[in-house]
Amino acid sequence: MMMWMGWGLCALLLFALYGQYLTGQADIFVSIANPRPLDEERMVVTLKGWGFASAARLPFVTPEADHGLCDLRVFATRRQMLVAIATLGYLRPVTVAWRAHAGVQPLGVA
Amino acid sequence: MPIVQLGREGRWTNYHGTGTCEAATRFALRSGDAERGRDELAAAAREVREWLAAAQAAGRHVRPLGAGWSPSNINIASHCWLLHTRRFNRCFRIAGDDVRPGVDAASLMLVEAGALVDEVSDKLEAQGRSLWTSGAGNGQTFAGAAATGTHGSMVAHGGIQDHIRAIQIVTPAGAQWVEPTAGVMSDEFIAATGSQAVRDDALFAAAQLPVGALGVVTALVVSSVPRFLVRPIQNLRRVDRRALNWLSAGEFRRFSAAYALDRDPDFVQMIVNPYKPFKRPAMLRFLYREPWRDDCPRATPGELGAGYDALSLLGRLLDDYPWARGWLLQFAMKLGYAGGPDVQDPPVYGSWGEGLDTHRPLADLFNASVTIDRADLAYVFEQICGVYARHGGSTVVTLRFMERAQGLLAPARFAHNAVIDFDGPRSQRTADAYARVVERLDAEGIAFTRHWAKSCNLDAARVEIDYGEDFRRWCAARDRLIPDPAHRRLFASDVLDGLGLTC
Ligand SMILES: Cc1cc2nc3c(=O)[nH]c(=O)nc-3n(C[C@H](O)[C@H](O)[C@H](O)COP(=O)(O)OP(=O)(O)OC[C@H]3O[C@@H](n4cnc5c(N)ncnc54)[C@H](O)[C@@H]3O)c2cc1C
Repeated sequence: MMMWMGWGLCALLLFALYGQYLTGQADIFVSIANPRPLDEERMVVTLKGWGFASAARLPFVTPEADHGLCDLRVFATRRQMLVAIATLGYLRPVTVAWRAHAGVQPLGVA
Repeated sequence: MPIVQLGREGRWTNYHGTGTCEAATRFALRSGDAERGRDELAAAAREVREWLAAAQAAGRHVRPLGAGWSPSNINIASHCWLLHTRRFNRCFRIAGDDVRPGVDAASLMLVEAGALVDEVSDKLEAQGRSLWTSGAGNGQTFAGAAATGTHGSMVAHGGIQDHIRAIQIVTPAGAQWVEPTAGVMSDEFIAATGSQAVRDDALFAAAQLPVGALGVVTALVVSSVPRFLVRPIQNLRRVDRRALNWLSAGEFRRFSAAYALDRDPDFVQMIVNPYKPFKRPAMLRFLYREPWRDDCPRATPGELGAGYDALSLLGRLLDDYPWARGWLLQFAMKLGYAGGPDVQDPPVYGSWGEGLDTHRPLADLFNASVTIDRADLAYVFEQICGVYARHGGSTVVTLRFMERAQGLLAPARFAHNAVIDFDGPRSQRTADAYARVVERLDAEGIAFTRHWAKSCNLDAARVEIDYGEDFRRWCAARDRLIPDPAHRRLFASDVLDGLGLTC
């Protein structure tokens, strides 16, 4: 009986892990209304030590962001999720993608 | 300074990720703050000309870029200088004394080439005006959308390039202001833009749809109509085979009466599952045009059913489980289609621009299409779906309608056109299935054209056959606009050479 419960628990944990693997690849997307996007830029941010080192010294450089950002995506690729699982969450790479705004200029006269 | 370099030489990938420019040096053309549009254009023309000369001196080809949306890779060139235009996006009101006598200035707007279609719609709306057609999305630049003959498809109109009344084009030899022979803008205005006036119907018809091969388009004069409201109806309905005959014959009212309102629709779209197109419900979308009024119940773009390509997220599943494709596509159609408003729902309204979507880059897409004579629709549509499904095509098939569009190289070249799109998740199997559709149409002797911007596998020989005399006229116009062969080569790329447009 105990053995069956153990196997059941194992299966449940495996399912939970698989669920995390799938859901980690979901695309979280936020956008302003009426975007005027420039090209998408990406960076990979790796959280280390279960997130304790999340304030990694990564410069957030985007060459043309003087009009702000239009939208932002956060997701992990299959490979990034496998890295997170294989390192028991010690390393958690995520991709952050964003598009800068082209700017909205007032209507001028010709 | 309007042109700035962006970073060092490197790779640039287009929006769909279908092509990469290797070793590209990226530049951006930016709007200035000149008080008058004509002064902006004069400065930009000067700067672009110098930039072209510098590229030539450096032995590099150039490629002007809009939003980079075209998956056919006509926006791709390696070892070249890229010119991003999206920040060259101001719009200007045109006054009565800027135009020639008899021209209605109030219907026109001067647009810098990088303004998005969305931006142009907004600026027109603020003046009580509207575009009369455009694509399903509105995130293209106006110049980029016109360059490929983007269509949306209002049943009584052509492509987005039909709005163009004048174009400023810059080549290493200078800036030219191309208009129809009858003329649009005044001589003084054109001179103030730093361009030479070229009033010629043949050149204008070529320049309306340049496919990126006629120089750098810096500005356009865009025509408009008084703004109007559209009432959308969207539903999932099993469409009777006989209804194809009505569509073939242009009996849109009859089709609308059967599946939505008993009124003349201005836009009709039918999205079918190619696996049993008449057994499984199709997604239908109608737009009915009404005069503008401020006091109607307005809807959000989502409620208006903006966009139609929300099906892309299922790509992997469709590829991984081929046996379940028909069912998965139907499931996606149900999920991906904003619910209603159907006939029995309270009516909602929006402007034409609000019914379009800027699109979110969430998945890898495949886009291809064929444009056929509407009269052939009833005969070939089921065959097309059959061939496509049999060979594993994993996208829905969309049917839209439009009239003949302007521009010598406009794919909508039949008097009445049915445009059949294959838009959805990208896979090699889907691309192969589309190729089988093309083969079937050829085998049946059905005349058709393909979209310049989509993954349609065109080549020079085919372009020449499809466009015949119009292609020769376009080439003659190109050689008149850019007489120096070395200047023409500046705009060459493998893809455009392959289409026979730059060699
Ligand atoms: C989500 C989505 C929805 C779409 N919906 C539709 C639709 O409903 N109907 C339809 O017909 N098409 C549709 N398309 C296709 C789209 O309209 C075309 O690909 C269009 O050409 C894209 O415009 P762009 O500004 O991105 O141009 P790009 O792809 O950047 O460029 C297209 C061509 O124009 C040239 N070019 C761009 N700007 C200039 C310039 N200033 N001067 C000279 N050459 C220039 C480029 O070099 C290139 O050759 C859709 C595409 C996507 C991604």
